[in-house]
Amino acid sequence: MNFIFRRLGNKNYHNTNGHKTDSDALFSLCSAQITLETNLDLRYTGKAAMSLKSVSGRFFTEAVAEIKHFLDVSKAESDLSYRMINDSYGYLWIIFESSKIEDIILGISAVGQIIHDRSFAKQLLAALFQFSNRKNNNDANQYLVYNYTLNKFYPFAPLNKNKRDDKIEREIMKTIVDELPVEKDVSLWYPIWNFAI
Amino acid sequence: MILSFAILGLLYIVFLSVLAYIGLGFLPITIIAFIMILAQWYFSDKIVLWSSGAKMVTTDQFPELHNLVDRIVARNSLPKTKIAIINTRMPNAFATGKGPKSSVVAVTTGLMDILNTEELEGVIAHELTHIRNRDVLVLTLASLFSTVAWYLMQFGFYGGLYSGGMGYGSNRNNNSAGAMIIVIAVALLTWVVSFLIIRAISRYREFAADRGSAQMTGKPVELANALMKISGNMKNIPTRDLRQEEGLNAFFIIPALSGSTIGNLFSTHPPVQKRVQKLMEMEASMG
Repeated sequence: MNFIFRRLGNKNYHNTNGHKTDSDALFSLCSAQITLETNLDLRYTGKAAMSLKSVSGRFFTEAVAEIKHFLDVSKAESDLSYRMINDSYGYLWIIFESSKIEDIILGISAVGQIIHDRSFAKQLLAALFQFSNRKNNNDANQYLVYNYTLNKFYPFAPLNKNKRDDKIEREIMKTIVDELPVEKDVSLWYPIWNFAI
Repeated sequence: MILSFAILGLLYIVFLSVLAYIGLGFLPITIIAFIMILAQWYFSDKIVLWSSGAKMVTTDQFPELHNLVDRIVARNSLPKTKIAIINTRMPNAFATGKGPKSSVVAVTTGLMDILNTEELEGVIAHELTHIRNRDVLVLTLASLFSTVAWYLMQFGFYGGLYSGGMGYGSNRNNNSAGAMIIVIAVALLTWVVSFLIIRAISRYREFAADRGSAQMTGKPVELANALMKISGNMKNIPTRDLRQEEGLNAFFIIPALSGSTIGNLFSTHPPVQKRVQKLMEMEASMG
């Protein structure tokens, strides 16, 4: 992981307006993940994804190429694997898999940094972290959504047919409220349906 | 719906007043009033369904909704009602029909979006209680009695003035114009009083339907949650995809359509806070 740390370390990873950066928020997930497991028996599944709105043109293609190059190199140093998918909304999804949540957060932060550097920060939509309840594995998965625009997390528990389990969502919210920057206005908890994790 | 009944009643009264003024006899007016009230009762469900744009749906179209209703009616040995859907984002539901067997429960797509299954069950059980209690008939009868009350009073009053006026041939026009104003004033007063009575009855029937729903589902808290959501007192978790919302650039726009409009719709109902409070008391008493 040294490679990724170097990548994050030698860049000035702060917004010009002095706000807390995306990676600060993302890294607080490390401890929140443990709380979710102890309190709600929700376990991180090793899968996460980030999505950004694709733009046509050479500059965006180059950014994607740099992301690919970076992730291919870091794959050699860690067990972080990835794949890319374009969805019907015109968003590019980078889907990560790693047993260690720290590796995934590092990966997502570093990719976010590349996108920042190439001035495509406004294209970033969200990062999703997948969780599942160990007791009933047949149940749907739960997610923590990190929204780049809000710079905050919120829970998302999809059921079938575009329905949400708002009970478990409110429970998750209660559990993580002290540990993560969370969006308290539930009317901003927009779902993300049919994504390929 | 009750408001529209009241306005309908007002129209009848004005209409009948005009008929009486023209000089139509007691019997023709009685027959016309009777036909109008009968028609109102007979067509009430069709008028309501038509004016709300509700569409009947079959089991194939909405299997889950039908299943939900089937389960409630089976557990409470009620006849199965027809189910209608109104395609609007405004969350609401109503029941209509002349008798339990020919009744319709209508829900909006907005209601199905914001409520989870158990909350929707609570709302539907509330509407089914309205049907079981024959609330449409009760309210039609209430408005019927108010019309009859007005009618009797008006005839006595008008008859007296009219015969009194006959004595002075030259003043007849002045007198009957004055009589007309008094007649309309009395009619309006009757209408206002009956409107208030109908609203009071309606509020009572709402509490009764809440209680019935709590008994049917055994979970008053679910209906309480549903009421909070419908009235906009509980913020809704959205179901529209984030990517769509981003496309509309609607991210920081505060949704304008929440509390006030729905508050107006509920004006014939008791305050949501009071209903929720009663439901929570029921929940607590269930141990």
